[in-house]
Amino acid sequence: MVAVLEKNTMLSLAENAVNEALKKGASEAEAYVYEGQATSIGIELGQISKSNRIIDRGLGIRVVTNKTVGFAYTNILDDANAIESVILRALSAAKASKPDQDWNGLPQKKPYASPEKTFDDKVVDLGSEELVNVASIMLDAAGQVDKRVFPIEGGIGNAYISNAIANSNGITGFDKGTVIECSLATLAKEGTAVTPVCFEFNASRNYNVDPVWVGKEAAKLAVSALKTNSVETKSTTLILTQFALQDLFAYTLVNAVKADNVQRNQSPFKGKIGEKVASENLTIYDEGLFPGGLRTWAFDGEGVPHQKTVVIEKGVLRNFLYDSYSAKKEAKESTGNASRAGYLSTPSIDTTNFHVMPGNKTSDQLLSEVDDGLIIYYLQGAHSSNPVSGEFSVVATPAWKIKKGEIVHCSRGVMLAGNIFEVLKNVSLVGSNERQMGQLISPWIQVENVRVIGK
Amino acid sequence: MKDLLTKINNTAIQKFGAQYAEARAQKLYKTMLTLKEERVEAAKQGIENGVALRVLVNGAWGFASVGSLNSEILESAVSDACRMAKIASSRLKTPIKLAEAKVVNDRVESKPRKNPADIPMEDKIKTALAVNKTGLGFDKRVKSCTIDYLDLTGTSYFVNSDGTSIEQDKLYVWARITASALNEGVFTFSREEIGSTAGYEVFDEQAPEVLGEKVAKRAIEQLNAKSLKGGTFPVVLGPNVVGVFVHEAFGHLAEADLALSGGVLASNMGKKIGSDLVTFYDDGTIEGSFGAFKYDDEGVPTQKTLLIKDGVVTGLMHNRETAQKFNAEPTGNARAEDFRVEPIIRMRCTYMAPRDRSFEELIEKVKVGYYFKSFRGGQANLDGTFQVGIQEGYEIINGEIGEPVRNASISGNTLETLHKVDAVGKDFQLDPGRCGKGQTAFICDGGPHIRVKEVVVGGSA
Repeated sequence: MVAVLEKNTMLSLAENAVNEALKKGASEAEAYVYEGQATSIGIELGQISKSNRIIDRGLGIRVVTNKTVGFAYTNILDDANAIESVILRALSAAKASKPDQDWNGLPQKKPYASPEKTFDDKVVDLGSEELVNVASIMLDAAGQVDKRVFPIEGGIGNAYISNAIANSNGITGFDKGTVIECSLATLAKEGTAVTPVCFEFNASRNYNVDPVWVGKEAAKLAVSALKTNSVETKSTTLILTQFALQDLFAYTLVNAVKADNVQRNQSPFKGKIGEKVASENLTIYDEGLFPGGLRTWAFDGEGVPHQKTVVIEKGVLRNFLYDSYSAKKEAKESTGNASRAGYLSTPSIDTTNFHVMPGNKTSDQLLSEVDDGLIIYYLQGAHSSNPVSGEFSVVATPAWKIKKGEIVHCSRGVMLAGNIFEVLKNVSLVGSNERQMGQLISPWIQVENVRVIGK
Repeated sequence: MKDLLTKINNTAIQKFGAQYAEARAQKLYKTMLTLKEERVEAAKQGIENGVALRVLVNGAWGFASVGSLNSEILESAVSDACRMAKIASSRLKTPIKLAEAKVVNDRVESKPRKNPADIPMEDKIKTALAVNKTGLGFDKRVKSCTIDYLDLTGTSYFVNSDGTSIEQDKLYVWARITASALNEGVFTFSREEIGSTAGYEVFDEQAPEVLGEKVAKRAIEQLNAKSLKGGTFPVVLGPNVVGVFVHEAFGHLAEADLALSGGVLASNMGKKIGSDLVTFYDDGTIEGSFGAFKYDDEGVPTQKTLLIKDGVVTGLMHNRETAQKFNAEPTGNARAEDFRVEPIIRMRCTYMAPRDRSFEELIEKVKVGYYFKSFRGGQANLDGTFQVGIQEGYEIINGEIGEPVRNASISGNTLETLHKVDAVGKDFQLDPGRCGKGQTAFICDGGPHIRVKEVVVGGSA
């Protein structure tokens, strides 16, 4: 095992790179150091058959000369020459580029809050033997549900992630966290009939995953997808589970609340702050410090503190999400939404934990309210949505038909078409069963009047 | 490099009892640009060096990836990989075996006319600016235009315990151009990509100005497009959509790992699953195309693989592991995005073979249907359900192309839909693309224009 880089080592790598860049002629500089160490045990074709260990480290440096921005990165940290050369590359990139008159400087230092429940020693200390055990428990749980279930892939993995940032305005920050995730994808087969892939997972910053639940749920969903019947083409009520919401929001709604998209005239929300854009059942926060959130960190990709931002409040649009560049353009403060792909990229705006606030209906109560409709788990083709207009035309693989409050059968190849901004207005009920999935924390939501194309 | 990697493999075999070991190293340089409305957001350069080690111990895989070429670190990583593989093998029911692969010793040099590594950053910015300028200047209703540019150059090294040793240059040039337009509250969005493994000369073949105009023109035309009616219709698909259809509706199912996972093709080998007009290839040998390379990331030579001939399934895409399970030859489809990930079965350049119809012949018999010219995204599922989103489409009324339509996608089941291909054009076009399967692969796909008797079209009207 390779020891992780200590806080002081990471910070001095970042600070030295900033100082060196200033010495070499940058007027501003920012260095971001990342380390990820991840271990996983993989399931393939019904059995545990592989293991994986990744150590990925690197440094990315952003320099500014005369309002011109250059960026370079390297994954070689143990060689002073490599760091020197990456600084020179960033400077040469800046030199080759064009000045940006809107450039208004890197962010200033602000105090950080301590994120809660984002680091667990137990996750770091998990050995491969224990990972194999957990994977095995998950597989067995799936197998016991029904013999027609075939677990196709999945596994369990733990990761340690740390990052350090420094800039020429005196920002210095270090944060570390852990993640553990177990997942299982299954399908069920009967004769020549094959179901779509069904999937469940648990992901957490702390060691509290439930492999039995994951295995059982993944298997149950697949079995319930075996019996199918067609549905008719009409506009109907949908219950959207977190799987569907995460996929759909990521390619539509999330784009519309990013300040740069608003400024560039590619968001239908432009000019609508204070206006009603959604059903009053809907309140959404971006919560960068949500305890135990998968995207909870002390600071963002520019060293700006994470915060809680109200995006939609009882249906009224309140705020957009800003990094410091887009904020300075409007003489505002960054909301701490500069996101980075580790050391490999410059910051760009993204959500932290995009939190749809829960209502008070349990999942059973939501179902019981539906006289005639569909419940949607997985979507196919959400990424083909129009990222600007919010229009989508996707397939539910599969959907389950609800009749008089009961799930009656599964249906394949059901297409859903519409516009996310209409969907938001037609939210009739919000569940209490929230869970996190990637950037989204949300309960199920019920939506009226969505166009469904059956076969 | 060869000596270092050989030494690490030897440690795996001799010290830790591995049955097989491979080491794949990379030294890569990337240049990236993002331009928005003629503003260079950042000019970016990166270095990525690292090694991926993969070992087979007691029939289970161990994989370790480190961003280092340091011998001590690699020794420690290979020890980790072997130890973890041994632990993973404890619950194994069916040990993994590999099909034989020919031992290769080769050095593959890329010979671009214009090596992107030699083009000054200033010139790349100038080219991107030219695209940006024409896109934005096309019409004042074009509100935003984004250019993402990437070039990647360098060398990868592959050594395995069978005695194969390959040093292979890598070269990719890629750009994505997007534009949005806005008029009277109607938003549109348009995208084009170019990609090549030949060299920077790709911009000589397709002038930046032409690209910018193409993207902007579509965004403007879409302003007047109407929402379409969902339902089952006959459609004519353009080569750009056919490529994604072949890739999503059939290609993924023909990846042997997915076939083994329960995909619908495994039980259809040698069977007729499509009309006589359906012939598909996955081809890694088309020089300069985005999916081309000489050796895959298991050291297996690439090839032109026939997947389906006149409607009959003839082959799958394999790596050494699945080839062994199917008692087939590896086809050179094992690809890894970079040193951080293990090689998995990926497509290369996947296309439909052309036949004899003209475009007019394809549309003339369609009474009410759609012509889908350009795609936006697509996705497959193991049960054979496919979806392809459409960014440019038109009505067909009584054999004539009519009004543009918006927000469409097509879906269906592969095994049903391939039987419904009832006319295939004589034209042919390939487009570069990127495919996500946990990792991103640079691929290419295409074909002629085709007509499909009926497919489900998703629309909101």
